[in-house]
Amino acid sequence: MDRALTGIPASPGIVVGPVHLLRWEVPDVATRIIADELIPAELERFRSAIETAKERLVQVRDRAASHAGPEEAAIFDVQITILDDRDLRLQVESYIRQNLAAEKAFDVVLHEWRARFAHHSSPMMRERVGDLTDVHIRLLSILLGLPDHDPVDVPKGAKAILVTHDLTPSLTVQLDREAIAAIATDAGTRTAHVAILARSLGLPAVVGLRDATMRLNGGENAVLDGSTGTLVVNPTEAEVAVFRHRAEREARDEAELRLLLSAEPITTDHQRIVLRANVDLPEESPLAATSGAEGVGLMRTEFLVVGRTAMPDEDEQYRAYRRVVEAFGGKPVVIRTFDIGGDKLPAGGFPHEANPFLGWRAIRMCLDESELFKVQLRALLRAGLHGDVRIMLPLVVTIDEVRGAQRLLDEAADELAARNVPFRRDLPLGVMVETPAAAMITDVLAKEVAFFSIGTNDLVQYTLAVDRGNVNLASRFTPLHPAVLRLVKRTVDVGRAAGLEVAVCGEMASQPVMVFALIGLGVRQLSVAPRAVPLVKHIIRGISVQLAEEAANAALESDNAAGAERQLAGRLRAAFGDASFLGDGLLGS
Amino acid sequence: MVERSVQVINRNGLHARPAAEIVKAAARFRSDITIVREDLEVNGKSIMGVMMLAAEFGSQLLLRADGADEEDAVTAIAKLIESKFGES
Repeated sequence: MDRALTGIPASPGIVVGPVHLLRWEVPDVATRIIADELIPAELERFRSAIETAKERLVQVRDRAASHAGPEEAAIFDVQITILDDRDLRLQVESYIRQNLAAEKAFDVVLHEWRARFAHHSSPMMRERVGDLTDVHIRLLSILLGLPDHDPVDVPKGAKAILVTHDLTPSLTVQLDREAIAAIATDAGTRTAHVAILARSLGLPAVVGLRDATMRLNGGENAVLDGSTGTLVVNPTEAEVAVFRHRAEREARDEAELRLLLSAEPITTDHQRIVLRANVDLPEESPLAATSGAEGVGLMRTEFLVVGRTAMPDEDEQYRAYRRVVEAFGGKPVVIRTFDIGGDKLPAGGFPHEANPFLGWRAIRMCLDESELFKVQLRALLRAGLHGDVRIMLPLVVTIDEVRGAQRLLDEAADELAARNVPFRRDLPLGVMVETPAAAMITDVLAKEVAFFSIGTNDLVQYTLAVDRGNVNLASRFTPLHPAVLRLVKRTVDVGRAAGLEVAVCGEMASQPVMVFALIGLGVRQLSVAPRAVPLVKHIIRGISVQLAEEAANAALESDNAAGAERQLAGRLRAAFGDASFLGDGLLGS
Repeated sequence: MVERSVQVINRNGLHARPAAEIVKAAARFRSDITIVREDLEVNGKSIMGVMMLAAEFGSQLLLRADGADEEDAVTAIAKLIESKFGES
């Protein structure tokens, strides 16, 4: 077997540790007929398995509650109630009384129930299949005496690499960070739930390994490199030494960069850049606040929805937003409204779409589901009392969406006023520029919005018609394509002329050569992951606007992305010499 | 036998957590409890049944209890549904 498995780098960092293989799949159950006199004992075996499963679920629920919070742990209460279901028990017991072994009786009943739920016309029902599947697997594992594979079983301090097909929400909330040091999955892309979660928890992760769970047995020693997307199984001592050396170098670079914490992000020709942090989860805000960032340039709100059994209500959302706003003590916090649809399914389910990224999502879905959207808007207006909250709309392609959102924002404010709930009415409303359409109508948008924020990942995807999650297209996903650079330039020029703030948020703003290009294109506000703040500050302090402009102009005139990269990278290297943080490839960080 | 009709007024409908709460409440009573939606009748003490109702926001339900504590059972479950299960 090839010892090096290659996937998609999802969250940086290097971990050496044992593989903990988690196979969370319904096992095959053979039909077994029991003799009449064994029926009472078999009934007893079934009932006792139910009790064991419930005890396990109570433990899992309590641990999940302490890792992830009581709201996330509620899914396990539902599973406990399913095990208690009298109809389900009676049905299984009647099969046992007809001489079927307990595991087969339960298996038959659960397959029936899951099929009924899976084919139900209501998306609310189809969404529950996951809970039934979890119950199905758990009880069969007990009845068949299979090893109990819950991640919670990994002893604290094991520093294991969790390898699994896909990290479902119910598995995610069980993750014990003292036991699991890294995550590797067969499924997933850089922007899938598991990847975002791993990054926000600071857990190195590789996703999209395709068949890692089939190729591993569990217990092997392995090295996971989340920066390059590799998982090396049974590494030689020499290989481990190389990885350890790189890990140490990364740690040293990071320590050096942390010295910049209190330094100002100013170019060598005295241009001040506003540097903010992206926040995926409220829990990250203390880390982001101490990273040296001046506020939040992009707070994603999908965490409130992904993997949940129900949409969060106004109070819960208000508390989450307020927590982030207060962590930044009056500095700007830009909160993006729900960017759900496609790969992030909310409660209630979504219709299956052939093209989710071109589908019913983000502002489109929010405007159509106005009651759901207004719950979020009311929570934002209330959070506005606690600091400088700004609202940002994702995936805008027409001014009508801005007008529709503004109308709902006014309605939300009137509703709060009618309820006598304190809030701030005049929150700035801005848009993400992440489609070519938005970039081309920035002159129209500028008259009615408070700010622009360029979402680089999606702008590249929509401009080049390259799916950012498609492994086979990775080399065609080129942010330095002149078409992308020209759209960014246009947005910056129009925004500046109208006196609007123009920011760039998204992963790409944290790569050295992109920072250089963006400043050259006239961007003066960047928002990056908290861990990238010191590096970006270091780049800013090492370049001049004059040099960046010269490089960006040359890049704009290049034939293609490779030409643009040469123009930028050559000048950037000259400015920094042989600095190690520029890495093994400027775009590959 | 007591019957009472009630409307689902929480935005998310009777998804998993509310269904579990109804079943928990129903289990406290000795009466048989049936919930009816359109032509579907389910056992109010079975979470599978209650989830099977797929009762979304605005659905009209009929609660039926039969037994010693039928009056209290119907009142308790109706109250729970009308309380929106803590959603705002």
